[in-house]
Formats: sequence, C-alpha cells, structure tokens
Amino acid sequence: MATDRSKRRAWTLGVVVAAVLTVLALTGGVLTGLRSAANVVVTPFNWTVNEIARPLGHLFAGAINYSDVVAQNQKLRYELGQAELKANEEWSLERQLQQLSTSLKVPYVGSLPTVAVEVTTLSPTNFAATVQISKGRNSGILVGMPVVANGGLVGSVVATTSDGATVRLITDVNSAVGVTFGDGAMSLVVSGRGVNNGMSATSVPLTTPITPGTRLATNGLNGGLYPPGLPVAKVAQVSLTPGAATYNLILRPTADLRHLQYLDVVLWEPTP
Amino acid sequence: MRRALAPAVVVTLLIVALQLTVLSSLRIEGVVVMLVWLWPFAMGLTGYTSLALVTALLAGVFFDTHTTTPFGLTAAVGLVIAYGASRLGREGVGDLDSAAWWVTPVLAAVAGFVAPALYVVSGAFALNFNLWRGSVLSMMLVNAGAFFILARPVTRLARIVGNVGERVHR
Repeated sequence: MATDRSKRRAWTLGVVVAAVLTVLALTGGVLTGLRSAANVVVTPFNWTVNEIARPLGHLFAGAINYSDVVAQNQKLRYELGQAELKANEEWSLERQLQQLSTSLKVPYVGSLPTVAVEVTTLSPTNFAATVQISKGRNSGILVGMPVVANGGLVGSVVATTSDGATVRLITDVNSAVGVTFGDGAMSLVVSGRGVNNGMSATSVPLTTPITPGTRLATNGLNGGLYPPGLPVAKVAQVSLTPGAATYNLILRPTADLRHLQYLDVVLWEPTP
Repeated sequence: MRRALAPAVVVTLLIVALQLTVLSSLRIEGVVVMLVWLWPFAMGLTGYTSLALVTALLAGVFFDTHTTTPFGLTAAVGLVIAYGASRLGREGVGDLDSAAWWVTPVLAAVAGFVAPALYVVSGAFALNFNLWRGSVLSMMLVNAGAFFILARPVTRLARIVGNVGERVHR
C-alpha cells in the first residue's frame, strides 16, 4: 500500500516537473527570469570556486609555461608595433571610406559606438560556442547586437541579464552570417562548425571567384544581422567533390576566438 | 533521503560552479568534461536513486540556464544516466568495496561515452538538428576517458554525501 502511494507520489512529481520544464521551455520570458534567478543562486558558488581555483591554476600554469609566456609577450609587442604602423597608414584611407559611406548613406562600422566588456565565462558546454560577458542591459547591450574583438567579428548577443549577457560566437553550429568579398557583388552565407572547428560555406557556385586566402566581411544587406564591413573569416580551403557543381569552403575566423578576454559590443541593432 | 538532500544540493551547486568556472576553460582537445553528468551517475551507482534523480535534475537545470542549447536537455540526459546507474547500484554492481577496482571506472567510461551521443539524439526531439555538427566522437572519447579517471573519487564523494542522512538518522 505504502509502496503504491510512494510510486504514485513519484509519478505525480515526475509529471509536475516535466510539465513545469515544458512550460518554462516554451515561454521565453519565463526562461529569461529563470536564467536570472539561477544566476543569483549559482553566483556565490561560482565566486567561491573561482577564488580557490584561479590562484592554484595560475600557480601551476605560471610554473609550467613561464618561457612560453615570455616568448608570447615578445611576439605580442612585435605585433602591436606592426598594428600601430598599419593603423597610421590606414588612417587616411579610413577617413576617405567614412566620407564615402556618409555620402552613400551606408552605416560605417568605424563610426558606430561600442561598449567594452570583459569575458567572464567561456562556453561551459561542448554543444554551444558561447561566452558570458561582464555587462548587460544596464550598459545598453541588447539582444542581436554584434560583438567584435581581435580584428574581426566574434559573434552576436543572444541573451541579456541586467549585468551580463551571452554572446553566441560565429563558430557556433547555430550561427549563420551573410558575407561578401572582393568587389562586394556576390554574397554567401557562412555557418559555424562547432567549438574550435572554424566555419564553412557549402553550395558555393563554381563561377564564384574565390581562392584560399580570400577575406570575407559582413555584407550588411537590408534586414541582415550585422552592419556591413566587419571582417568575418579567411578562406582556408576550397574543396570540390568530383562531379559536384558547387564548392565547399572551409573558413578560419579573422578574430582569434581561442583567446577572448576583452570584447567590444557594437551598439547597433538589426533592422527589421 | 530527506536528511541527505541538503548536503546533496550544496555539493551539486558546487559541482555546477566547478563545471562553469573551471572545467569550461580546462578543455581537453577542445572538449569540456561534463562533471554535471558524472555526479548524478556516481550518486546513482551508490544506490541512492531519489538523490541521484534530484541531483541530475538540479545540476542539469542550473547548467542549462547558462547555455544557449535547448533548455532541459542536459537535465534529461543526466536523469537517464542517473536512473541507469541507480538500477546498477541497487544490484550492487560497481560497489567501491566489493567489486573489482576497475568496474566503477569502466561503467563510468561507458556512461561518458554514451552521454554526448544521447544528448545529440535528444536534441532532435527539441527540434535542434545542428548538435551533431560539433566533434561528437571526440566528446564521447574525452568524456569516457575523464569519467574513467574521475569515477572512483566522485563515487566516494557521492557515498559520503548519501551516508550523511543515514549517520544523522542513527
């Protein structure tokens, strides 16, 4: 009798939990609320673990990788010098481009305001390429805004809380970006291949004049998710299946997505 | 079960925090080790069915609120693994004291190997057909290896947490 009752209770509990989860999953607003509530609960635990684990991790990593860090620092100084030189050279070109963009009424990326943010957490799962950032709605960050860093497009904001946001990286399997190249006459859609796997484009017509090394930037088409001119990726490999009428492209993102620490959220919303 | 619930919840939240803050950046071949699945598995293997299911649900839900993947999928996979492990645990299979030393790690490795595939298949029910595009095989192999290594210490921790209720009761 008692076993029957406990079984019935377990079933009822199971059904209630399943129903609650289904309702939560179907109602986005409630899910956002739940996400915020879960953040509040987990944050103290995250903080505790972080405070213990980070110094220990730094101690071990520092002891093992010290020579690598020194070499990396020297390389970064060299690259910074190169970047400064290039920036000086490109200043006049940029100014001309800005003037042209204004006269053609096309939004110019360089003139859009940005918010600098720090990456707080990398993607905690294998199935989504995302990062958590340190600022959210209180800083004017909204869902859909593009995020740039390390010389190229990094992704877009997919969820926000008052003081944080989630950025879906362009390598995420659910990410798709409209791009153009060369003289901008042709557009492609490139999609992510998962964490650490870069991007790809399939069914590219054979007439497309594309070769390894070609740089792709956002096309900024009307209704697109990104403003025009953001560097997205470089073609790493062009493959052609025998008998097929189209190319497949393997792409390497322009931005180095393995070392994301500081990002810029572009305060630009997609036009409906 | 009720007396062990509080420590189980606290340990589960700590494990979620460990997963989110440490394991997310400590990738092996680009793969994250899913401690949020190993923990309910270990709890199940010690024979605490209800605790295993509660920890699977809690860990999964809290973890899922931090990702952009379909909500509830991690919890669903965790529940299946926890239930399967608890059936074995009830039969005494994988007991740390009586079974051979390798039984628990091998069972955990099987769970770690199956779990990512289960996740991808479950994703189809949530109408997300893109999950297979990641490196599923490497996720399965890395998780199997990591579960093999971590199985005994995590199961020992699960046994300590489960025993709290019994000790208080005595």
